Amino acid sequence: MRSVYLLLPALLLLLALPVSRGRYNDDFDDGEDLADFADDNDFAEFEDVSEDTAAEPETAPPPRVAPPAQPAEDDEDEATVELEEDGQEDGFEDSDTQDQDMYSKYDPDEFDGMEKPSQSLKDPLIIHTVPAHLQNSWESYYMEILMVTGLLAYIMNYIIGKNKNSRLATAWFNSHRELLESNFALVGDDGTSKDAVSTGKLNQENEHIYNLWCSGRVCCEGMLIQLKFVKRQDLLNVLARMMRPVCDQVQIKVTLNDEDMDTFVFAVGTKKAMARMQKEMQDLSEFCSDKPKSGAKYGLPELLAILTEMGEVTDGVMDSKMVHYITNHADKIESIHFSDQFSGAKVVQEDGQPLKLPETKKTLLFTFNVPGMGNTSPKDMDTLLPLMNMVIYSIDKVKKLRLNREGKQKADKNRARVEENFLKQTHNQRQEAAQTRREEKKRAEKERIMSEEDPERQRRLEEAAQRRDQKKIEKKQMKMKQIKVKAM
Amino acid sequence: MSANNMSGPQRVNKIIRYKPPSTEANPTLEDPTPDYMNLLGMIFSMCGLMLKLKWCAWIAVYCSFISFANSRSSEDTKQMMSSFMLSISAVVMSYLQNPQPMSPPW
Repeated sequence: MRSVYLLLPALLLLLALPVSRGRYNDDFDDGEDLADFADDNDFAEFEDVSEDTAAEPETAPPPRVAPPAQPAEDDEDEATVELEEDGQEDGFEDSDTQDQDMYSKYDPDEFDGMEKPSQSLKDPLIIHTVPAHLQNSWESYYMEILMVTGLLAYIMNYIIGKNKNSRLATAWFNSHRELLESNFALVGDDGTSKDAVSTGKLNQENEHIYNLWCSGRVCCEGMLIQLKFVKRQDLLNVLARMMRPVCDQVQIKVTLNDEDMDTFVFAVGTKKAMARMQKEMQDLSEFCSDKPKSGAKYGLPELLAILTEMGEVTDGVMDSKMVHYITNHADKIESIHFSDQFSGAKVVQEDGQPLKLPETKKTLLFTFNVPGMGNTSPKDMDTLLPLMNMVIYSIDKVKKLRLNREGKQKADKNRARVEENFLKQTHNQRQEAAQTRREEKKRAEKERIMSEEDPERQRRLEEAAQRRDQKKIEKKQMKMKQIKVKAM
Repeated sequence: MSANNMSGPQRVNKIIRYKPPSTEANPTLEDPTPDYMNLLGMIFSMCGLMLKLKWCAWIAVYCSFISFANSRSSEDTKQMMSSFMLSISAVVMSYLQNPQPMSPPW
């Protein structure tokens, strides 16, 4: 359907060009008649010297003029030959012989005081080139042809890229379908159907993004898998990728119930990814303030780094099986992020807006790179299957992982600290907001009083406002007294 | 990795329906390319129409194609079609007014 939308405009475009050109072709049918404009010619007097073509200057044979035809606008003043291409040959053959005759008949006295005709020939002959659009050739339109070719190339690339992405997605799903169906009761849901029935297929969000929602399992609420392919359907992107290769990615987000996970924040991934996430992610920046540690300490390859809330968490998560999984597939792992305080990336707040503590959700996030660096084939999707096994294993593991007493205390302290900091930061802002609100109210009140026409009512409203203010001041004083008493 | 018991780890009673991520978070996360290209396409086609510049009109056509290729499926096709039509009308109008072929800038 979308291809039709593309082809329609392209067709329209191709049709438009000949239409716009066709209009001007009619003018040249009159070309043959140009030869007979003897009436308009300056040299009409001399027409009886029978020439079958338009007249020419008397003296030398006129230079052979290059342009095959000329529009009627070319004026008679200039010593140009108003000839058609096919008429030209005939004209010249006759004119050579006739020239001598013409010359002999002229009376030199006739031209006394006038410039010699030969001099007029020394005036430069201005030869106009025929405007390109009036030439009967397509070659002059080469820029347009280039443009249309570019468009066609874009459309071809769109179709090819779309199909490739679609094939990769299907291949991924086919290789993972069995594993998912054996683990989740609901595989594939777009949220629109009435019953919670597995659609059994991927949700296409875009030409390069495919979603899959799985739910109905112990230990977790649900799992959202996003296949984020590179934009193969966009030619610009394809060209950009030639400069800077990018990978296809598979992003998995497992949301957990409150009882499924203990309180900890942990991440492992490539050094670059860890550095970036520590800056960008709200929870990692608050809870994992240390620099990413090298994975080598825990038996992971050098290229991986670890961000953790406390050492105990790392020891808990990195058991031998996880280490085994990660080491074997280190090239495909971009990042793994377990967090009970996950709220997404840091939100940039405008100044003066009172902040609310962002909502958190217990989440496990996995980002995997598809091998092939953009040049993936459907077969490569099978290599991601062990990683999905790792995901399932992690879900079960996180459910069982419990911090010991010390760890729990530390974790609770951390969370309390973060909350306090947040409240402190927003305290000023909240105070300011409350102040402005109070001022607004007062101003509105005053305006209302001012706008009252009746002086009697005005006085009464003013009195009422005064009484209210008095009461407020009294209340405050009482409060201060109470606090003082308490302090003592 | 399925569990040992007969039903496996699936639990039908624990099914939660898919909720598309809220649109509040989306604008910052989503790719802004199709919107920018749409806007650019419209600007170029208006330039091409008003100033009678052929190359503007051609770039507008390209912009609307790029916007189409990058668009999300949730987006209106009407918007896409309207930007297509505008850019193509810009091209056609510039050629009707001035049928000379485009001269290269070099």
